[in-house]
Amino acid sequence: MQCKEVEVVLEQQGFVPVPEAARAHLAGCSSCQGLVADLTAIVATAHLLPAEVEPPLRVWTRLRAQLEEEGLIKGAKTRTAWRRRFSELFGARALATAGVGALVVAAVVLQMRPPASHPTEARNTYENYDDTSLTLSNDEAHLPSMQLAGSSKVDVALRQNLDIVDKFIVDCEQRIKEQPGDELARDYLTGAYQQKAELLSVMMERGGVY
Amino acid sequence: MKWETMARGFLPVLGAGLLFGAAHAAAAPQHFERHFAVKGRPVVVIQNVANGRIEVKSSKNSEVVVAATQASNKINIDAEQAGERIDVTATITDNSGAANELEANFQLTVPEETELQLRTQTGLVYVEQVMGDMTLQSVAGDIHLKEVSGYIVVRTTGGSLVCTQCAGKLDFNSISGNAQVVQPGLTNVSLFTMSGNILFDGDFIRTGIYTMKSGKGTVEVHFSGNDSFDLKAQTATGTVDNQAEAYLKPDSHGVRHMASKFTKGLFGTVGTGLAKVELSSYSGTIRILKRD
Repeated sequence: MQCKEVEVVLEQQGFVPVPEAARAHLAGCSSCQGLVADLTAIVATAHLLPAEVEPPLRVWTRLRAQLEEEGLIKGAKTRTAWRRRFSELFGARALATAGVGALVVAAVVLQMRPPASHPTEARNTYENYDDTSLTLSNDEAHLPSMQLAGSSKVDVALRQNLDIVDKFIVDCEQRIKEQPGDELARDYLTGAYQQKAELLSVMMERGGVY
Repeated sequence: MKWETMARGFLPVLGAGLLFGAAHAAAAPQHFERHFAVKGRPVVVIQNVANGRIEVKSSKNSEVVVAATQASNKINIDAEQAGERIDVTATITDNSGAANELEANFQLTVPEETELQLRTQTGLVYVEQVMGDMTLQSVAGDIHLKEVSGYIVVRTTGGSLVCTQCAGKLDFNSISGNAQVVQPGLTNVSLFTMSGNILFDGDFIRTGIYTMKSGKGTVEVHFSGNDSFDLKAQTATGTVDNQAEAYLKPDSHGVRHMASKFTKGLFGTVGTGLAKVELSSYSGTIRILKRD
């Protein structure tokens, strides 16, 4: 199996857990291992995004009209082809890298948002936290066995630090459940999720994918 | 018959000797040294996938000297130059080696003005008397900086930072590493550790911005009587230990700060409040005291 075929398999079947068909290739290909690690980080960070990031319909309408006016797109019929060309322009790896950057920025924006004042908004934020927590836990459950069994100083340090992050997250989540308006705890929890995503990414890259 | 008997006794010894020799060659330390001539301010990148120490010192010479000792031939070291960029990579070629065989230690001599990007797994990263932006990454190794200046970015998982007489901007992020900043000349400081401790012992430069956050550890700041800064200290479930009440006055800029009802906070001004100092710890202790 070649790298391009692995991308197709991951796109069709997801990467948690890594599909059987792609495992043999991934075990020996650092580039594809990096891709999986990037995708993992993206998914984890994506769950930190607030639901409100979806722009209003009028923005899309205006944007499309503008693009049509400038001759960059030609109405609804060509949209699929345009989108396909756009996705061809960026390979999966480039998109993943760009995605990590964009999502990190989005996560920072989320972190800088004022505390939720409306109950619905607050509920959405907590749901985002729940989603992030679940995604990261799933990623952790699929850590390569080599990483979990490794006895080197680095492997041990990574596992110990993952344990520290996990305990801290539990602590912050508990605090937020008890004190939903605690902005400081929310800041620390967001930071902890980011650190956990980065740590899992390092562990996956280091341990290989099985 | 006699020769046959002798051969029978000798051959196993010879075989064992050859095997031992081969194993010894694989495990024997190997030295690597390269010299690269540079003109201006070089950028030196070290990517040490193996374990080991990286030591960087400066000289007046316009050259970068990369010296390395690798514990065995299970590690491959490559070094190349592209203009002013020197790239050094240590990779593990045979993962079956014992931990002590997978070590590569680097000693670098660089011009005083050099940019650095260093990455290692374990082992100390030590940089002394280098001026230039630097990014230093380690999983379990500590990072010691002495008399360095520039935009300094440090990322560790469990490694601690000791920064002595550093100048410029410092950005430290770690999970369990400690950060110790002593006698700094830093104008912008951002320190974050999830469970480590933070100690800042030095002057706050006027117009400087200093942010220090620890999830579970202690954040301790020692300031001098001549300092001038606005202070904001907050903790969710920890404590604030203010041992400098005599120096801390209510905010002098007319903005009335208050801690939220969920946090314990301390706001005030030392001197005329020219620098900005923000300290926080989720569940640890924040300690503020004046140096003698």
